[in-house]
Formats: sequence, structure tokens, C-alpha cells
Amino acid sequence: MSPELEKCSRSLLVCEKSNFTKEKSRYDIHVSKHYFNYKVSIVIPECASLPASIAGVINSFNSYYRVRDLPIYKLLEEEFLEKVVKKGQFYALSYNTRIDEDNTIAFLPSGQLILSVDKDTYEQLGLEGKPSQYKHRKVLRYVVTIDLTDKLMSPGAKRYQRLITSLKEWVPIKCDLMISSKMTAAEEDGGVLQNLLSQYSFEEHRPTLHTHTLKEMPCPSLHSTDRHGDEKSCDPHHFLEWLGAVSMDISSDNEASSFLSTYVCPDPQSLMSHGLLCTVTGFLIPEDIYSLLLELRRYFDEPKFTSWLSMTVHGFVDSPVSWGTTEHGFLKSGENFYNFVCFRNQDYWLHMATGSHDGCPP
Amino acid sequence: MVRFKSRYLLCEVCVEDRSSLLLLEERAIFHAVKTAVARSHGDYGAALLILSFAVKYVNAHTGIILIRCRKSHYRILWSALPFISCLENRGQKVQCLISCLHVGGTIRTCQKFLVKYSTQQLHRMLPHCKNEAERDEVRRAVLSCSLEKERDVEEEEEVEEDDWEDE
Amino acid sequence: MEEPAAFERLVYKNASNFHYMKICLVLENGSRNIEAAQFKQLIVSGLRQLYGEVGAAFPFDLLKFDPGTLTGILRVYNSGLVKLWSALTLIGSYQNELCAVRVTQVSPFLLALSGNSRELELDQASPTGEKLLLT
Repeated sequence: MSPELEKCSRSLLVCEKSNFTKEKSRYDIHVSKHYFNYKVSIVIPECASLPASIAGVINSFNSYYRVRDLPIYKLLEEEFLEKVVKKGQFYALSYNTRIDEDNTIAFLPSGQLILSVDKDTYEQLGLEGKPSQYKHRKVLRYVVTIDLTDKLMSPGAKRYQRLITSLKEWVPIKCDLMISSKMTAAEEDGGVLQNLLSQYSFEEHRPTLHTHTLKEMPCPSLHSTDRHGDEKSCDPHHFLEWLGAVSMDISSDNEASSFLSTYVCPDPQSLMSHGLLCTVTGFLIPEDIYSLLLELRRYFDEPKFTSWLSMTVHGFVDSPVSWGTTEHGFLKSGENFYNFVCFRNQDYWLHMATGSHDGCPP
Repeated sequence: MVRFKSRYLLCEVCVEDRSSLLLLEERAIFHAVKTAVARSHGDYGAALLILSFAVKYVNAHTGIILIRCRKSHYRILWSALPFISCLENRGQKVQCLISCLHVGGTIRTCQKFLVKYSTQQLHRMLPHCKNEAERDEVRRAVLSCSLEKERDVEEEEEVEEDDWEDE
Repeated sequence: MEEPAAFERLVYKNASNFHYMKICLVLENGSRNIEAAQFKQLIVSGLRQLYGEVGAAFPFDLLKFDPGTLTGILRVYNSGLVKLWSALTLIGSYQNELCAVRVTQVSPFLLALSGNSRELELDQASPTGEKLLLT
């Protein structure tokens, strides 16, 4: 009736099919480039309890710190920059800042600093940036990307001085940060990070684990070669919908004439006597997720009833990047997640999804 | 120059007893249409309709009415018309049905259509006439509107305002 | 053993038929017992108020409803999303009691609704129960 009422903002879903053993497959890059991960959920059909080996990997996940009111320039001081940020594997993301309202700050392990700021802050900062995709007619947000590993950015250089003055004097941005670094445990940085943290109020957090056993429920049958849902499997959107229904405990036992809901498990389906749903929440770093993926691949080393298992990784909705330095925005819900379906013969499907104000996944 | 483009809906009110047509009034039609739109398209539809909604012409003898609304939302009005089943005027309810004859971009095209349509109707009436007097009357009527038609043909050289392409 | 799958990459743009919404009903005088069917009826009547009988005649599903927190998950065809969302916004009363519907999350993927990082609470200690703090 009214076409203007039927429009929707765009969404992207990238699907890949390949084999883990192939050299050309880039699954490891996709995992390691998705820097800020909020939640991992694993679904293993026909499995009653979490296998000890997988639990072991989850237990060895890095813990993360939450620091309150940390001035950003502190992280850019020479000693910290050289000993922690430039060494790589340093992840930091501002906590409780909404990317569509507040200024968001992220440190990528590749040594880049990303500031996603509103127009006023951008103009006060005086740093060079690009307009964000989040705009209507006027540009409302800017994204400033600073490569700290650049020679021109080395301490003492002119541009470095300017950056410090911006963040120290012109706009002294302070925010709560979530920090994770692979090196903190090893103390390779000479205690610089601990030293800095101790000057501010901070807490250490461990990733939280939930396990949930699913009982007697229909489950779509998947076949590794047939990914489009032509005959033997269901198509990616239906499968992701089913996964969502499972992880949120949504009943798929509905009649077509039901008043409340008509959702049913996609065809072709089979009955699963029990299944395992396990979620880990926190500020998770890609290295940990990669080791979990490797362990999941080993799940099929021994014969199992199921032919597939799935791992979903949700990114932070308020992160300024999704994959690599590709911009990420919020608009409706800021989804950026990926999902691996691992098969017995080491084939895998990878689904990567982003929302409206995002660049295309790699 | 930017102007608001409108659609004119040429409709016929059909009633059982033709004498009750005399009760037809702009206000009654206005209210009936507004209520029908509000029922079938809700507050949203009613608000869109009210933008430039007007009953431009009512002929209480023939039951022909002309309604104007914004071009972008004429479908809202169009789809609500079949849901009107009675018109109320001065406390009297008249069972009726409104059928849309033509949707035009200007009043002029609607008028042209109406003349053509009425002529057709007269031609169809001719075989049903019972006596010579009736037949004569119909013939005279047909003749009178064909004169009107010739005059219209001359005017047709002008560019028509009616533009449908951007729909 | 089957042949390893050949590499294949496909990009779907706007291919999802549905949108999913996580919504929450807030009542003026605190929560009370509302059943799933009553909740859906409230939404349907809100839709009918705003878009009338023709405009509101599109299907949507209430996938899940939690009477305790009055939170629900809706599934709607893309074409109905704007209508549903606007109708939800304009719902103002439930049985003569003032109320509001808060839309927490909207996504073309149901899976995205299960991982909302805005729910990450670091200020409170993790509640006990099902949750298990790792050591």
C-alpha cells in the first residue's frame, strides 16, 4: 500500500565453504581479524556434557581488565607505547560507550588507534579523520584512525606531539576501558601494564561460561557439500535462524495456524535426542577463539554421532571496527558475528554477517 | 514550478431507491469516506488522506461525485471506498455502494470521461425504452452530449496535465 | 571419506526474509501477569489503531515471551518491520493503564539477538546459580 513503509536497511551475509586442511582457506585470518569478541556459543548435537578438552581450552582463556576513567593519552606515553602497544596483541575497547551516541575508542593489536567521535569532538581534536557511514544529510560522526607503528608517529615526532596535545589538553578524553593483552600473564612487558593499571581503579574479570543441555528437539540436517539448501541441507538464513532459536530457547513446536508463532525448524530435519549449548561471555581475544576452533576441529578425531558442530562468535555491537579496520556502525542493532559449521571431514562453512553501516566482511 | 499533484476519483453512488439520492451532500460523503479510511487504514491512513482531501463535486440527481486527494496516497482512498456501505445525512441512513468509475489527474479529464461514460449509458438505455416518447427523450439527450463532445475534441490539442508515468 | 569441499564464497545482500525484534513492555504500576496471547493481542490492537484493518493485516510471530520480565521476541517480514515498529512505539495503554514498549534490539538475524554486548555488566559480581565463574 505505502511503499515507503516497506523499505528496510541493508544487511550483509557472506558465506564461505571450504576445507580446514586446504592451504588457501583463510578461516584463520577471518578469526584473527575479528578483534573484539563478546560471546562465543558452541552447539554440539548429540553431546550430553562439555568434553574435557574443550572445557580445558575455555578455562585457559585470557582474563581481561576493566579500568575506570583512564585518560587515553596515558596509553600513548612513550614507555607504554613501545613496550605494550607496538608489541602487538594489545586489545582495548571503551566500555559502556555507545557507538551511535558517545565517543568510542579502540586499540587494535596491529598498533592502530581508532577514535569514533561525534562532530564537535572531532573539530576540537584537530586530528585527521574520515566521515563515518553513520550520517543522514550532514556528517555527524568521524572516524580517526591513527597508525601508531608509523615512523611519523614515533615519540618525539611532530605528529606524535600533536596527538598527545590533542588528547591531553584539547580534548582530555577519559573513559572506562576493557583491556586484554596476551602478554600480561607472561610479564613480558616488564610490568608496564600492571604499573599503569595500578594508578587507576581496575578489576580483573574472567570470561563467564554457561552450559545448557538441549533435549528432544528437531535439528536441521546439514550436508557439507550442499550449502545453498538445494536438497540435503537448509539454506544459510534458515540455519542461522534455527541457531538463534536454539540459543534463546525459542520453541519450534508450532502449528501453521497458531496465533502466537508459526516458527518451525527448517526442513530437512531430524530429531536430536540431546545437544549441548555452551556460551562464553567476556572480552575475548581472537587468539583464544582460534585455539577453541582448533580444539573443536579435533572433536571429530574420535567417531561421533553427529556430522557437524557449530561455533558462533558475536562481536561487540559498539566496536568501531568489525573485521580488520573496516568500519562498524550500529543503526538498528550493530550486529557483527560469524559462525563456523565444522564437519566431520574437516569441511567448514563460514557465515559472516554485518548490519547496515558496516563495510563488507573480508 | 512545483505544485502538489492530485488525483481525482470520479465515483458513482448506487442506491436502491433513486429518490434518496437527493439526500446526497458533500458533508455526508466527506464523513463517510473519512470514517472508512480511518477504519481500513487507521490513524496513519486518515492523516495522509486529510492532507488535501476534498469532495469537489456532488450531483444529487445522477449520484456522481468527484473526490480529490494527493496523488501519492490515492490508493489509500481508492481501497477504502468499497467499504462504505451507507451514507448518513440529517439523521437518515441510506444504504449505498460507491463504485469508482475513473481516476484522473485533473478535473477536466474526469469531466471528459464522464461525458463519454454518460453517452455510453444512454446508448445502452435506448433498447430498453418502452414507448416512442421515452425513446425521443433519450435520443435528445444523446444528441445534446455529442455536441458537448465535439467541442471537447477541439480542446484536446492542448497538452494534458495527466501524468501517470512516475508511479 | 568424502572429497574435501571446494572453496566457494557467496555474498547475500538483504537476503533475509525476516527481521527480529526484542521488545519489552513497561507498565506504569510495575509488572503484572500478562500472558503471551494477551501481549500479542495488545500489539495487534496497536497495529490496527495506527494502520487500520487493511494496513495491519500482515503476519508476525511472537517467538518467545517471558511473563516475568514482559520481554518478547518478535519475528516479522521485512515489509512489515516499519509498520510494526512504529505501531509498537505508539502503544500507550494496556487495559487503561499507561504503558510503553521498549525496543531493545532489531536485527535481520535471530542469532544476533542472542549476543548483545550492551548487556555486558561488569559492575556487579556475577550472580550465582547457573553461571559458573571460571578459575
